[in-house]
Amino acid sequence: MRKVDLCLSSEGTEVILATSSDEKHPPENIIDGNPETFWTTTGMFPQEFIICFHKRVRIERLVIQSCFVRTLQIEKSTSKEPDSFEQWIERDLVHTEGQLQNEEIMANDGHATYLRFIITSAFDHFASVYSISAEGIAVSNLS
Amino acid sequence: MAVRLFLCSVRTGDPAVGKTALAQIFRSDGAHFQKNYTLTTGVDLVVKTLPVPDTGDSVELFIFDSAGKELFSEMLDKLWESPNVLCLVYDVTNEQSFLNCSKWLEKARSQVPGTSLPAGVLVGNKTDLVSRRVVEAAQAQEWALGQGLECFETSVKEMENYEAPFQCLARQFHQLYREKLEVFHALA
Repeated sequence: MRKVDLCLSSEGTEVILATSSDEKHPPENIIDGNPETFWTTTGMFPQEFIICFHKRVRIERLVIQSCFVRTLQIEKSTSKEPDSFEQWIERDLVHTEGQLQNEEIMANDGHATYLRFIITSAFDHFASVYSISAEGIAVSNLS
Repeated sequence: MAVRLFLCSVRTGDPAVGKTALAQIFRSDGAHFQKNYTLTTGVDLVVKTLPVPDTGDSVELFIFDSAGKELFSEMLDKLWESPNVLCLVYDVTNEQSFLNCSKWLEKARSQVPGTSLPAGVLVGNKTDLVSRRVVEAAQAQEWALGQGLECFETSVKEMENYEAPFQCLARQFHQLYREKLEVFHALA
């Protein structure tokens, strides 16, 4: 099977929830394939967003580009509905002045239908996420 | 555009300078958005939405109010991890309460990790007690300037100027947001 970036709106993926929304920097910017656009939080933490693949996927590698994110928790679900999330990955990120954070995660047991990203703390009052790519394969459609 | 920002403010200062009264009067002015909560931890939370003039944006202000004496109890440590802005209150008729502001500020800033210090306001309350005033406005202004705080005087009793410090906090926070957006754009 063909490996693709599963986190692209052009692949049918959607952000179905985000706890912050500035209409100039909406959460869709995370999966639009454009590294210049971003989603920003608008104050206080934790903040989260949920990505829906609309199919069963198996993720092998995640790359998250962000700014000022300190602690990131990723949960996943294999349900048809966005529920039954289980803890999957937790990372403490490093802040490098003048550079985006580029966090690469090799994934074990990457079967998912939804991913939930929770930013539990940040290096500033606000944090932003530019892109998330999930390399892997589409396993099957939701029936 | 219309962004709703969320701002967490911690109010601090000596006991009996009017911190709670200031929050009470702010919450009770009859605005649509006022929502009141009492946390079971004994901390009072006032939530209020303030429009930021000339922007179409608004700031939802979460003010955690607590008696000065219990502020640094273990129970409240979590709360102190990352206030966005500070609201320091003193009593213009009580010099010690003004002098203690530097202590409160230092403690508050030592809680914030990294280099970005929270902005904030200094509020001198009880200006209605004219004959008992011992802290002059100019003296407070000078100290506040040196600390990067904006300075206000209020009389909660006379309901004078009580909204200005909060509007200032909202404006400061909105400014922080705009500055951060520029950083985000520059990194893209």
